[in-house]
Amino acid sequence: MLKTLIEAFALISTWEVIIAMFAASVYGLVIGSLPGLSATMATALLVPVTFYLSPIAAIATIVAASSMAIFSGDIPGALLRIPGTPASAAYADEAYAMTRKGQAELALGAGVWFSAVGGIAGVLSLMILAPPLAEIALSFSTFEYFWLALLGLMCATLVARSSPVKAIAGMFLGLLVSCIGIENPGGVPRFTFGITDLFGGIEPIPALVGVFAVAQVMRAMLTPEPPPLPRRKFGSIMAGQWKLTKKYHWQMTRGNIIGIIIGVLPGAGADMAAWVSYAMSKRFSREPEKFGTGHVEGLVEAGASNNASIASGWVPSLLFGIPGDTIAAIAIGVLYMKGLNPGPTLFTEKASSMYAIYLMFIIANILMIPLGIAMIRIAAYILLAPRSAIMPIIMLCCAVGSFAIGNNMFGVVTVAAFGVIGYVMEANGYPVAAMVLGIVMGTMVEQAFVTSLIKSDGSILPFFERPVAAILAAMAIGALLWPVMVWVWRKVKPVQTAAATPG
Amino acid sequence: MRLPDSVTGSFLVVLGAASAYGGWILPPVPGQPVGPNVFPLVIGIGLALCGLAIVFGIGHSFEEEEELIPLEDGQAAAPLPQGKLYGLRALLPPALLLFYVAAADRLGFIITAAIMVYVTSTALGAKWKLALPLAALSPFAIHLIFGKLLRVPLPAGLLPTPW
Repeated sequence: MLKTLIEAFALISTWEVIIAMFAASVYGLVIGSLPGLSATMATALLVPVTFYLSPIAAIATIVAASSMAIFSGDIPGALLRIPGTPASAAYADEAYAMTRKGQAELALGAGVWFSAVGGIAGVLSLMILAPPLAEIALSFSTFEYFWLALLGLMCATLVARSSPVKAIAGMFLGLLVSCIGIENPGGVPRFTFGITDLFGGIEPIPALVGVFAVAQVMRAMLTPEPPPLPRRKFGSIMAGQWKLTKKYHWQMTRGNIIGIIIGVLPGAGADMAAWVSYAMSKRFSREPEKFGTGHVEGLVEAGASNNASIASGWVPSLLFGIPGDTIAAIAIGVLYMKGLNPGPTLFTEKASSMYAIYLMFIIANILMIPLGIAMIRIAAYILLAPRSAIMPIIMLCCAVGSFAIGNNMFGVVTVAAFGVIGYVMEANGYPVAAMVLGIVMGTMVEQAFVTSLIKSDGSILPFFERPVAAILAAMAIGALLWPVMVWVWRKVKPVQTAAATPG
Repeated sequence: MRLPDSVTGSFLVVLGAASAYGGWILPPVPGQPVGPNVFPLVIGIGLALCGLAIVFGIGHSFEEEEELIPLEDGQAAAPLPQGKLYGLRALLPPALLLFYVAAADRLGFIITAAIMVYVTSTALGAKWKLALPLAALSPFAIHLIFGKLLRVPLPAGLLPTPW
């Protein structure tokens, strides 16, 4: 244990890792603070750079950039009422109301302090949850993996803030995309239409860049530019945070726990954690009437929650290759490329790398406090950069980055195509995250499904025979039937619903 | 690009049917009951069923209206120019990426990238005072990072970079 820990320290105390981490932190802070550029997009654009780094440095950049971006989304939310990332949207109104009351320092300080605390709580959950789960997972057969993957896919549709039918459709679309290519049980070209470039299948990374980055530039073409930030002088940012921690320690803990749970659920990430925690905070608050008028309580809980979900999203990713959120989906791609294939054996064979990941998360969250304070102070200057100067650079990074993944132009075509797909899906209420999950997990789902079918020789019984498989099956089927039951319940009791919603 | 649910749903039905059919006609693995054909078949059927459900409006009641943050009295939104062709502007970014694919090998990275930057910047409302220097400088910066530091073989084309 101690030996692995020392090894892990040795792994991360190289100049490459330190510089990569610092640079990625600054990058994450800047991208996160710009409205319209999300943490997922920041991470996706970082992937081509990680090719050229050592495995630990590559993971360091992703850990640092995603943690920082989730926090710095709070900055324009508080100062402009425009959340920098979707994860800050839940409480942007509240934070802006505080700014108008002259408490901008308190709002932003709470953002940075409780984000860091939440992040560290998330890492602790990763450290505590992952190893025992890995023990259990070592005895999993393809049946368990099949149900687990199905459960993961279903979770993504359950928590989508949209119609579950559309979420399931999005998930199927992603699975369909993963069918393309010759990497299937028979090794035959499938859905390639004779195009050689499609033989290798659609790489998840260009698809992600297209869906998150190009689609965002497309949306920017049709939306007005956000107003510039008024310059202001800030007082002490950390003053009063310790008092808040003591006063709202229960809210903070609850936010951490909710964030961890939502992070572990596949497909649901920081934005969902923030919405749920903000709602919970209001629901259980002793002074709910103060919410919306610039009350710090909800900020504490939601800020603690969204950063906690970032680290805990890595739990299913590292154990099973099932991404806990869209950022973890990108991380999985990088892990595979770096020879750290997700799976329970990672915790025994590459234990020092795992400890290195934990340590990097902790360092990133501690680093967040000084860098975050500096970022708040210079945010007014960074937000002066007009969108018409940032979006063209994003476009160039999309083109070059997707080319760099395989050094061929087909990657750029993929990015363009998925930009259009992502844009159309989003505009019509199909959750993009569900499709991303389908693309990332498709190969694994198919492998577990087909291998299980071959093993069971056409019988359905072995799918339920092993105890863990049976439990997972019950949960997956329950998740599948849940929207149906709610729908039937609403149909059966239309009178009450009509009475409950006036107008 | 907000299409009625009946249109997107029908499209999914067609896509699902096509995928199920495409899976059906794939050659099976000799001596194996299941092969590469099963998974597309299952997905296709699922997709078609979802499409049908969407056409008939099942699950529509779950959809939350997009949360628009109401503007305050002081900050009135600039009126958006609404023309028939205005919506097509959204297609500009993917079109530029395809332009990059088509032209980069011939024109080289620097020139193609400069055109992309200039067009995107202007389309987002930049004056030439911003767009021109941006288009002149940013390709070199990106080339320095990706071409020089990360060794991505970017096409030189007509205008080789000085390094």
